[in-house]
Amino acid sequence: MKRDPALVSAIATLWLALGVFVLYPFARLLQVTFFADGYFSLASLERVFTNWYDRAAVFNSLQLAFAVALAGVLLGFIFAFAVTRMNLPKPTKWFLGAVPVLPLISPPFTSSIAITLALGPNGMFFRWFGLPEFTIYGFWGTWLSETLTVFPVAFLTLSAVLAAIDPNLEDASLSLGRSRLGTFASVTLPLTTPGLANAFLLLFASSLADFATPLVLAGHSFPVLPTQAYLQITGLHDLRGGASLSFILLIPALIVYFLQRYWIGEKSYVTISGKSGPRTGIRSLGLAPEVGVMTVCLLVSVFILFLYAIIFLGSLVKVWGVDYRPTFEHYEYVFNRGMKAIKDTILIALVATPIGAILGTAFGYITSRMRFPGRRFMEFTALLNYALPGTVVGISYVIAFNTGPLVLTGTMAIIVAAYVFRYDATGIRSTVASLQQIDLSLEEASLSLGESAFGTFRKVTLPLIIPAVTAGMKFLFIRAMTAISATIFLISVHWTLLTTRILECMTELQFAQASAFSVVLILIVFAASGLISLMFRLAYPRYSR
Amino acid sequence: MQSKRSFVLLFLVFSLSLLLVGCGGGDKKPDAKPAAPAKTETINIYTIWPEKYSSAVFAAFTKETGVKVNFLRFSSGEALARVVAEKGNPQVDVLFGGPADTFAAGVEKGVFEPYAPKGADKIPAKFKDPQNNWVGVAVNPISFMFNNKVLKQKNLPAPTSWDELLNPAFKNGLQTADARTSGTAISRILSLTYTMGEDKAYDYQKKLHQNIQMYTKSGAGGALPVANGQAAGGIFFLVDTLEIKAQGHDVVISYPKEGVAYAVEAMALIKGAKQPALAKKFLDWASTADMQKLYETNKIFFIPTNPDVKVQDPALDMSKVKLVEVDILKAGKDRQRLVDRWINEVIK
Repeated sequence: MKRDPALVSAIATLWLALGVFVLYPFARLLQVTFFADGYFSLASLERVFTNWYDRAAVFNSLQLAFAVALAGVLLGFIFAFAVTRMNLPKPTKWFLGAVPVLPLISPPFTSSIAITLALGPNGMFFRWFGLPEFTIYGFWGTWLSETLTVFPVAFLTLSAVLAAIDPNLEDASLSLGRSRLGTFASVTLPLTTPGLANAFLLLFASSLADFATPLVLAGHSFPVLPTQAYLQITGLHDLRGGASLSFILLIPALIVYFLQRYWIGEKSYVTISGKSGPRTGIRSLGLAPEVGVMTVCLLVSVFILFLYAIIFLGSLVKVWGVDYRPTFEHYEYVFNRGMKAIKDTILIALVATPIGAILGTAFGYITSRMRFPGRRFMEFTALLNYALPGTVVGISYVIAFNTGPLVLTGTMAIIVAAYVFRYDATGIRSTVASLQQIDLSLEEASLSLGESAFGTFRKVTLPLIIPAVTAGMKFLFIRAMTAISATIFLISVHWTLLTTRILECMTELQFAQASAFSVVLILIVFAASGLISLMFRLAYPRYSR
Repeated sequence: MQSKRSFVLLFLVFSLSLLLVGCGGGDKKPDAKPAAPAKTETINIYTIWPEKYSSAVFAAFTKETGVKVNFLRFSSGEALARVVAEKGNPQVDVLFGGPADTFAAGVEKGVFEPYAPKGADKIPAKFKDPQNNWVGVAVNPISFMFNNKVLKQKNLPAPTSWDELLNPAFKNGLQTADARTSGTAISRILSLTYTMGEDKAYDYQKKLHQNIQMYTKSGAGGALPVANGQAAGGIFFLVDTLEIKAQGHDVVISYPKEGVAYAVEAMALIKGAKQPALAKKFLDWASTADMQKLYETNKIFFIPTNPDVKVQDPALDMSKVKLVEVDILKAGKDRQRLVDRWINEVIK
């Protein structure tokens, strides 16, 4: 590929952005962690290997992340399969596409609280069904809540990938005498491999970095690293200890990253080659497997809806558990006392989403299509903030941007930057996954006809990866509305967020107000993600589904 | 060559930051946002008290002085982490509310400016830092809270001694705070070490551990589960239990006869505050009896430190409760050791 001046300046700009908002805060954090009185010292890491509790946290984190990623990818795949590869009536498709989005668009601790009310000690499930009690606090509760919270990410990325597989390929296999299940196993599933690997990486990383769910559900018997790091910083006022615990998190995140690279390897997953005929209809997988898929989808959907019904009802009654008279007073509170948070949150999300979409697509495209030195390192750097626990990113931003050449604390820009560089990871990964399915010859044809690299990208590649870009944008918007771990350190007296108000209500024992805030937030995000889809459907009517 | 390159780099960083800040601008420029039309004076505060308590107090201050308050609420640990991280360029003028041991930790990190508010001379010395780094505006004792229905089911009275919590009937039925994160837990442990002696206190906690369903990250975290009957009861700060009771939950509050420690809720001036004069004005005002009278009228369930302020609510009358006097500075120094013992002996 020839050196396009546009490409060189694009790469320079991206490196600059990464340098300022990823590498610089990271370096400042390293400095704070490993340099004591001007000397390099590993003393702060020592505690991890001598303290039994921290060692347990390392092991638990890995175990939890693995279990969550596995279950989440499986569940996400089943849902994505039902929505994209089965001939379901439209309302059913809409329902199955909408329900998994619920856990994604509410702050994780909200669903954790609903799970506690449903499955916790003396919870409704046990009272209704007379089941023997078991302790939800610990591995199982955290696993369940995190799986429900993160599987929609797998669902979104896998839907984009599955939808892009041409049914013609399956037809070819079927007409060559393969059974339907055999076709699924030897054609559909292998073509989804990059998507599955990406989803696994994303889920593994987000479980590894999640601190809000374990904060509510893990209890004392199941320590995990991000929560430990958070406790070390906020509970014991030990920033260095907390930061060094977080560095431990980088190791598994790195391993997964390289494993996934190795695994996808150099195999070809091209399904969009420009040479295929018209698309045929979707072939059924057979009755029994489809019934199985539907059963799983419906059971999970009902459980999710049940959890959200608790939150919805909780926002409409006087005091949950005591006084079930209906009331709107909690919504009055939200719109009187929480209006600033609502406005700030929406504005921040609206600013972060387009910036993140452009950057995410640019990173994904440039790192997977262009050849230049440091390409892998760029991809890795772009995903670094996502792999780090949010609290650590937040603290590193405060350290980096409170003094020195670039002062941003107290501004909106610091929150926007944190969101963009942390949550465009999904956009990057889904762009990469979707590009791996597109034959390079399409772009080469455009280039050889004299189109510039940028023009080729805009006219040929972009329309083909629009579902992936839409997924990344939605995810970024949702995260900008719901994330808490990084920004809890970045909000200021001038800029505050809905999620922190919800967490506040939870810690102030105002379950009803927290529920009302959550319902408002969910409605806003639902409306906004519908708008994003609509926008792309209008702009690229032929390519988005 | 070298200087040229760094100049180009600097220029790029500058333009990019402009771009980002510019995006944040729009109709709502961050710097311009404390939209102070020169005449309204504004002060910035991190508060550790719940939002509704804080807004009642700050609204009264604004009404009294015309100074507007921008505030943000954090848990004590988060607030201190923020103040420490922002040391070089403080974003707020005052840290308000929260247990004095958090403030003592802040003194160690050098984030406060000593100041003796006018009006604070009425507040007894035991509620103030000897170096005037912080002043205590309220007292908050440790208490037991149990779910009445659960007690009736088990046919037990509300516990009035630490030993009653060891009753096997409460097995896996109590919630209380995690020592690593919560000031409530530290006050609970201090209650035990001051009434039993340190080693006995840890033996006791090991036994109590059998009955603990969950150690919550925040001190109030277990209060709602107790209210809902998920847990039979727990050990909390009084303010959290009275809040639950005021919501209408059927709970009963009691105290161990051996005695309980209490937290002093403090406030301090931030070193390098951008509005030191206004911050001092606030601290002066917040030390007065008038401010502490706001507690009762606004259902802020704290006990005033100013002896001139009398409380009417019998729930806040501590004359029948044995309160243990804790040395806050010493407790601050012991904290790490107490927490380490808790991790290595109690929950292991």
